[in-house]
Amino acid sequence: MDTIHYLGLGFGVALTPYNLITAFCGTLIGTIVGLLPGLGPVNGVALLIPIAFALGLPPETALILLAAVYLGCEYGGRISSILLNIPGEASAVMTTLDGYPLAQQGKAGIALSLSAWSSFIGGTIATIGVVLFAPLLAKWAVAFGPAEYFVLMVFAITCLAGMADNKPLKTAMAAFIGLALSCVGIDANSGVYRFTFGSLGLADGIQFIVLVLGLFSISEILVLLERTHHGHKAAKATGRMLFNFKEGAFVLATNLRSGVVGFVLGVLPGAGATLASAVAYMSEKRMASKDNQFGKGDLRGLAAPETANSGAACGSMVPMLTLGVPGSGTTAVMLGALTLYNITPGPMLFQNQPEVVWGLIASLFVANVMLLVMNVPMVRIFTRILAVPTWALVPAIAIITSIGVYAVHSTTFDLFLMIGIGVCGYILRKLDYSLSAVLLGFILGGMMEDNLRRALSLSNGELGILWGSPITVAVWALVAVMVALPILRAWRGRKPAPLAVTD
Amino acid sequence: MHDRIFAGVNLLICVALIALSWGYQAPFAYEPVGPRAYPLLLLSLLVLGALYQMLKPAKQTESREEPPLNRQVIRKIALCIAAMVAYAALFDVLGFILSSALFAVAMAYLYDATRVQSTVGGIVIAVGLYLLFDYGLDVPLPLGMLAKLGS
Repeated sequence: MDTIHYLGLGFGVALTPYNLITAFCGTLIGTIVGLLPGLGPVNGVALLIPIAFALGLPPETALILLAAVYLGCEYGGRISSILLNIPGEASAVMTTLDGYPLAQQGKAGIALSLSAWSSFIGGTIATIGVVLFAPLLAKWAVAFGPAEYFVLMVFAITCLAGMADNKPLKTAMAAFIGLALSCVGIDANSGVYRFTFGSLGLADGIQFIVLVLGLFSISEILVLLERTHHGHKAAKATGRMLFNFKEGAFVLATNLRSGVVGFVLGVLPGAGATLASAVAYMSEKRMASKDNQFGKGDLRGLAAPETANSGAACGSMVPMLTLGVPGSGTTAVMLGALTLYNITPGPMLFQNQPEVVWGLIASLFVANVMLLVMNVPMVRIFTRILAVPTWALVPAIAIITSIGVYAVHSTTFDLFLMIGIGVCGYILRKLDYSLSAVLLGFILGGMMEDNLRRALSLSNGELGILWGSPITVAVWALVAVMVALPILRAWRGRKPAPLAVTD
Repeated sequence: MHDRIFAGVNLLICVALIALSWGYQAPFAYEPVGPRAYPLLLLSLLVLGALYQMLKPAKQTESREEPPLNRQVIRKIALCIAAMVAYAALFDVLGFILSSALFAVAMAYLYDATRVQSTVGGIVIAVGLYLLFDYGLDVPLPLGMLAKLGS
């Protein structure tokens, strides 16, 4: 009953004209940003933080804006996947597998509208999941102390590595690099300067906007440079623009299953949309009958990853809001934005500022409906945007990125730092390390250290507190499972002939 | 091979940082952990990971989608990075409009635009973004040299 009452409160916040307009602008900007090659949800959301600040938006409105942009990006990302065969971000890779063949067969319009519909179903299923489970988890998480939080974050990091399908060690290393980066700057507990090399610009630590934009925008710009050199061509969006009832009914079961998969995997800290879309695609492929067209333009192969990644995008809000532990790169950025507003996400948020939490949850529903309504008729207009040449797009992205970084502290030191981080990010990316893992590690690092030190202060340096309560023991068990998983997989993969998973 | 080199570099950096963080001692200890334990823990985990990678680098089984780097692309990437560094250096001195216009022209040219396209496009982008952010979105940007002209 409480839930319905709070949901009503949330819709009260989300449906005020001001927030509706914000959500509309957010979804529109998000779709365009997601659609442009070189910009994904992570940098889209990060770029908007300084703007949200400059405009003086109140926290709930800013959060609604960021969430709308996030969902919009997930919608927009599929357009470039389907038409260009270029996934805007990792979670859209699976969409290209069946989306691009469909576009080549002249069914681009059907593919676009059907994937918008799938995203809508996924988002709605997951938002309902958020409404049902977030308050429960928050109620439960109130009992968490610093030791529990520390173990939970250890779990998030191992989850990230354990779930990364083929390179657990690299992902773990990337996360550790992120964790180590979070140590830079003045230590809040003792006042010792760590790894600043005497530079004043680093005394405050690395600003997370600088890290995000460096890792994602700058490295993407360099990757785009490679791509322009080699050239690519877009498929035309022609033919029937709307899928018909038969096609919709054909994929409905896929939609429902993938939506649930997406939500569940989205909730797991560290797993996120990339894994969700891959799992949904693989399981649908396995379930389909023998004469399936997967990989050659099967509608189910398009619907499954799209539903799952929208579901995961919404689902990843759950750990972010209830525990303050982000589940994906983008929610990590949103978490950073919240802390800029002096809001500490976590279980207390549900009690102290229900209008922020429930306003956000309600706006997820609103944004999903808006995106569906906007995307089906406006697909043709969005596809035109893809015609913007790279040479005009990239300088604009680079300059906007620089503005975003400069706006935080008004020093050019941050610009240099961003470029340095960007070049490192590009190298890491070339070597197949996960950049989202670096980002998640960075965001979790500070909190992890705080909680560890707080826990050990409570126990006077006794390490036993870290496995003293039933909750910590249970989470450590999960950590053990996550560490064992890739080892087990490697061991099992060695014996039989390697299965063809990399299709 | 690249993985091994990277792991080696990573290892060296981590060892250097461990040496550095060894010296981090709080003048007054308010709490039992102190400022150096956590970085030391992380860095030693990184060292262990890097050692493992050097002994047993990941197999290159999957075919990469992106074509391999060649000399031309590497040259372009170096130029692009140089342009960004120059932009950062000139940002405050020349002011936003001038430095951005120069940067945008250079970048557009680098991304295969013709001379006319990049000149016109670069200037339009710089001025347009200045108007959008400074006037439209209230994000203050430095005017640099242009400020003296105006006053």
